[in-house]
Amino acid sequence: MPHRLEVTLKPELFDAEGETLRRKAWDYFGIRLDTVRTVSVVTIDADLTPEQLDLIRREVFTNPVTQMSSYEPLPVPFDWTVWIGFRPGVRDNPGSTGVEAVEDILGIQLAPGENLYTSKRYCLAGKELSGDDARKIAEDLLANDIIQQWKVFQAADWNPAEGIGIIIPKVKLDHTPTVSTIPIDSDQALQAVSDERNLALNPNDIPTIRRYFLRDSVQEQRRRVGLSDPTDLELEYISQARSDHCNHNTFRGLFHYTDPMTGQAEDVDSLFKTCIEAPTLKLQSENDWVVSVLWDNAGIGRFDDDHYYVITGETHNSPSNMEAYGGAITGIVGVYRDPLGTGKGARLLMGGYGYCVGPRDYSGDLQPHLHPRRLLDGVIEGVRDGGNKSGIPTTFGHILFHPGYLGKCLVFVTAVGLMPARVGDAPADQKKTSAGDLIIMCGGRVGKDGIHGVTASSEIFSENTPAGHVQIGDPYTQKKMHDFLLEARDEGLIQFITDNGGGGLSSSIGESAQFSNGCVVDLEKVPLKYEGLDQWEIWVSESQERMTVAVRPEDVDRFMALSRKHAVESTVIGHYTDSGKLHIRYNGETCAYVDLDFLESGFPQWEFEAEWLPPAARGLREPVIGEPASYADLLLDMLARPNVSSKEWVPRQYDHEVQGGSVIKPMVGVDRDVPSDAAVIRPVLSSPRGLAFSQALLPTYSAVDAYHMTACAIDEALRRVIAVGGDCDHVGGVDNFCWPNIQYHPEKNPDGKFKAAQLVRACRALRDVCLAYGIPLLSGKDSMYVDGNLAGRYGISHKVSAPETIQFSAISRVPDIAHCTTMDVKVAGDLVYLLGITRDELGGSEYYDHLGYVGRQVPEVRPETFQPLYRCLQTAIADSLTASVRGIYRGGLAVHAALAALAGGLGLSLDLAKVPLEEALRDDKVLFSESTGRFLVTVAPDRRQAFEAALDGHAVGCIGVVTEAPRMVIRGTRGEPLVDLALDDLKTAWKAPFGDLV
Amino acid sequence: MTGKIRALVLTGFGLNCDLETAHALELAGAEAVRVHINALIDGDARLDDYQILAFGGGFSWGDDHGAGVLQAVRLRTNVGDQLRAFVESQRLVIGICNGFQTLVNLGLLPGFDGDYQTRSVALTFNDCGNFRDDWVTLKIDTRSPCVFTKGLDVIDLPIRHGEGKFVTAPEVIARLEAHHQIAARYARPDGAPAGGAFPHNPNGSLDDIAGVCDPTGRVFGLMPHPEGFNHWSNHPLWTRQADTRKRNGQSSLPAGLTPGVQMFRNAVALLQG
Repeated sequence: MPHRLEVTLKPELFDAEGETLRRKAWDYFGIRLDTVRTVSVVTIDADLTPEQLDLIRREVFTNPVTQMSSYEPLPVPFDWTVWIGFRPGVRDNPGSTGVEAVEDILGIQLAPGENLYTSKRYCLAGKELSGDDARKIAEDLLANDIIQQWKVFQAADWNPAEGIGIIIPKVKLDHTPTVSTIPIDSDQALQAVSDERNLALNPNDIPTIRRYFLRDSVQEQRRRVGLSDPTDLELEYISQARSDHCNHNTFRGLFHYTDPMTGQAEDVDSLFKTCIEAPTLKLQSENDWVVSVLWDNAGIGRFDDDHYYVITGETHNSPSNMEAYGGAITGIVGVYRDPLGTGKGARLLMGGYGYCVGPRDYSGDLQPHLHPRRLLDGVIEGVRDGGNKSGIPTTFGHILFHPGYLGKCLVFVTAVGLMPARVGDAPADQKKTSAGDLIIMCGGRVGKDGIHGVTASSEIFSENTPAGHVQIGDPYTQKKMHDFLLEARDEGLIQFITDNGGGGLSSSIGESAQFSNGCVVDLEKVPLKYEGLDQWEIWVSESQERMTVAVRPEDVDRFMALSRKHAVESTVIGHYTDSGKLHIRYNGETCAYVDLDFLESGFPQWEFEAEWLPPAARGLREPVIGEPASYADLLLDMLARPNVSSKEWVPRQYDHEVQGGSVIKPMVGVDRDVPSDAAVIRPVLSSPRGLAFSQALLPTYSAVDAYHMTACAIDEALRRVIAVGGDCDHVGGVDNFCWPNIQYHPEKNPDGKFKAAQLVRACRALRDVCLAYGIPLLSGKDSMYVDGNLAGRYGISHKVSAPETIQFSAISRVPDIAHCTTMDVKVAGDLVYLLGITRDELGGSEYYDHLGYVGRQVPEVRPETFQPLYRCLQTAIADSLTASVRGIYRGGLAVHAALAALAGGLGLSLDLAKVPLEEALRDDKVLFSESTGRFLVTVAPDRRQAFEAALDGHAVGCIGVVTEAPRMVIRGTRGEPLVDLALDDLKTAWKAPFGDLV
Repeated sequence: MTGKIRALVLTGFGLNCDLETAHALELAGAEAVRVHINALIDGDARLDDYQILAFGGGFSWGDDHGAGVLQAVRLRTNVGDQLRAFVESQRLVIGICNGFQTLVNLGLLPGFDGDYQTRSVALTFNDCGNFRDDWVTLKIDTRSPCVFTKGLDVIDLPIRHGEGKFVTAPEVIARLEAHHQIAARYARPDGAPAGGAFPHNPNGSLDDIAGVCDPTGRVFGLMPHPEGFNHWSNHPLWTRQADTRKRNGQSSLPAGLTPGVQMFRNAVALLQG
């Protein structure tokens, strides 16, 4: 018999969660609540005695100091109460830890089918509260229909004996697993099946697939294992492996690039090969610190003789767009499996984040699935829980608002790990499977999660079908697995390891079997969350927190013993062979038998038309604007722009220091609230070496030219790591492309050719700038369909495409962290230097955007003059000649000088006449130009000579002095006063948009 | 006592500060061993072999039913007697963050009258309503019997928690106060009491309580992370301090133990006698 336990804080205690909800209801919707009290509900669907129930109530679920609880509904007063619970099949983390605790304290095992389910009841009190208000709070603040169900009750209708009733979100499928055979009589027939079953087979691939299965020799082999036409599982496997996500068909495609203005035409055969692989291999051959690139789950660089670092970056856009919290937590926890599955396994060191969303205060006509404000809240919280509960510091990140992301948000997650250089005598970066190795699946169980990605269908909302297409990551299960696998690695038990993410077992086993050249898998051995999955569903399910590991038979007992010690589920589900075949069975019956080299053969290349129109041909021009009369107001307003202003509330809720190696935090300065240029950690606590990490993205420049958008992002990420003490000769990059659809369609995507040209240009910039700076691409990913169709007024839907976006991440080895610097000015009397030339480059700038313009003269990267300057600065930093170093990024000199002053709590007096220029420039342009390649540096007066000598020959201007008076004073190029503002006023403006958020 | 002082650092089930806690203990002169909770339960590791037991930070069992609650349930159910024997044999216990939450749920704190089983204080959700990572200033009660805080007065340490608000009945606070068991309080940067003011008191703890010890001073729990200040470069203002040092002709980082490591050093020194 099920039991429902309610737990709440004692009435005299402050309810912080309730208070947060009360505040949000007012801030977001103007709904006035007097009080909100939270009741936790645990529904126990298990056969327990009254004594057992009382014991777990007291010892597990109720804190005697702070809480009260009862198996009857608690009489917490309310005008309306809102109940929120998960839909069936949605990951309920507290439910499963509750099961662990109950089993432990009672010394029992719950019977199959018995379970615990958690949910919450919010007791809302408010004199004017209406039912619509309560429903609004349920629907638009608390619950997301995709994963949750909710109910509201008015006080008058509440039955104090029954409460919310007993609600058990148990999955009941009542389905017998079946393998179906797919007829392939014609291309049309197979296409029809593909459409019907949501296989997403590319029409161009269909003839190749049919040819294979119709081949006599193939048919003969298949007959011997009892197969004829392809099975659903086989087509799912092929579909997964051929997907753009797994196979990068776009980046491996053939681009017909033309520029009608110049008549230039060029075919680019594989952007991946020409712009990513070739330059990276060249740089690898020139730099012995580049250990492993281009093949594994993440790239590997040498940290020191005994340690390698591992880095990769991912996006999780579509799931986050549908269910922000679930998508983001699944994203961060998922990317953490990549370093764990790199080489023989790496320990996670840190994570980074990048969120691109619509304006937080959006009030237009378009109706995104989630309002940007709610979406951002959920994404922030998802990464918070995913990172914090993994014990991995989230050391760096950024947020960018742009209406182009209303259609689909971007959620970038980056992961850095550390591995020993060797495991025993073997290099830790290398791994392979061999015939005879056992295939072991570790970690979570398999359900209908993530099958075919995010496809919301109507059946999802029925009572007992699992809402599996959006998942909720489980950092607890993964942390246990992480600790277990590293111990197994150190004992030499792991031959090969990879994660189960996109494509599930289909992808992890399909790819790992390529090394040994074959495998046999017995799908009935795969542990399931619930019965009733078809074989193909087990094979492609993307249920999270799983790794696939190859273990030699002689090591399996030890491996399993360690697994038990760490309370991790591990199961032998097959073995690797050298048969050349992917052989999948279920209870002895073959359900797939495919030649592993089939995927390598004869699939047609994707093709794209790419048509470039230069900015002038698109009508872009510089705006015709006069000089500002009130620079002070302008500067204050620039600091209050959402993309410039303080976002302290985000890194403050992220554990950015766990693991004890924090050197440069995400925020620095006397008040610890100004974003630093980059993060630095000490990954090996006994070593003075560090790793500097930064990210940059500048999508507004794509409105002019994605070439410069890319180039500037790389340059910014590079300058960021140099500013804190990084090493120009050891910088690795991670490129994350997020692009709107580039496939031309006359009605649905009329500018597809232009977007394709932008992609070609971005890749060329990646190649050019990385080669020029010597930055190998240690890792990279692409997400190619960042578009959304949003309903608007009159029922008209509007396609919203994201601006072409690259997030570029840089990682650099810091030789000795004792020389690291921060951007806060340090001492009054220090001299202020501007390094690099300021140009008339405001196209796509924050200043122009503030005034409603795009402009045309976008910043350009000039590595041939920039790089020598960077090297000199690096030497100056290492020689302790600098007191503070700040790169000049979005918003320009005025914004970043103000931030350096705010961080130092000291004033600045600046003279624009001393700014190094190429040609005369108006003061507003000097202040807000986003010319790249520049730094703001402060230097103690007694180091002036040495510093100037170190930078000799470069464009360097001593533009002012740090002052004791807490004011920002700027004189114009003609000597007249432009700005004289108190730091307090600057800070107030800078914190105005988001300063109240916690 | 001969040989190195041995310290056991618990790991597993979502705990996560074990590496740096072990590192800080080693810097303090101990031999630190990371031991999985299940190894203790299975008997593969024995508390008897150690003189210091560290309950470290993390999210044990995801903190899903109250921070530290399920860890306490598991330990009490499976090794409760061993734990009490350890405490009663005058050895040292430190609980940091999730470890502090576990100690109060085990009842090892406040340990009035030798009662190491009763739960009478709690750490609940921060008043600010969210997880928070920041640095705080602590004022140490220099008259406290606490072994770990000896010789310390005003120090900075990082906090990183969502459930750090210390709550209990007024009479319990009075009793803690009377016996100087409130070893560490949140303070303003100059060491003056935080007086409940956010963010100096980051979570709304009653009486600015950041850490308490048992009446013997040998069991200590605190929300801030001493192991998070294991190196001078952990401090958020270290580059400012380094700049000053360099202007004075000194190396950028000072020699000597950080206040965080000093807490562990105090424990090791006491045991070394």
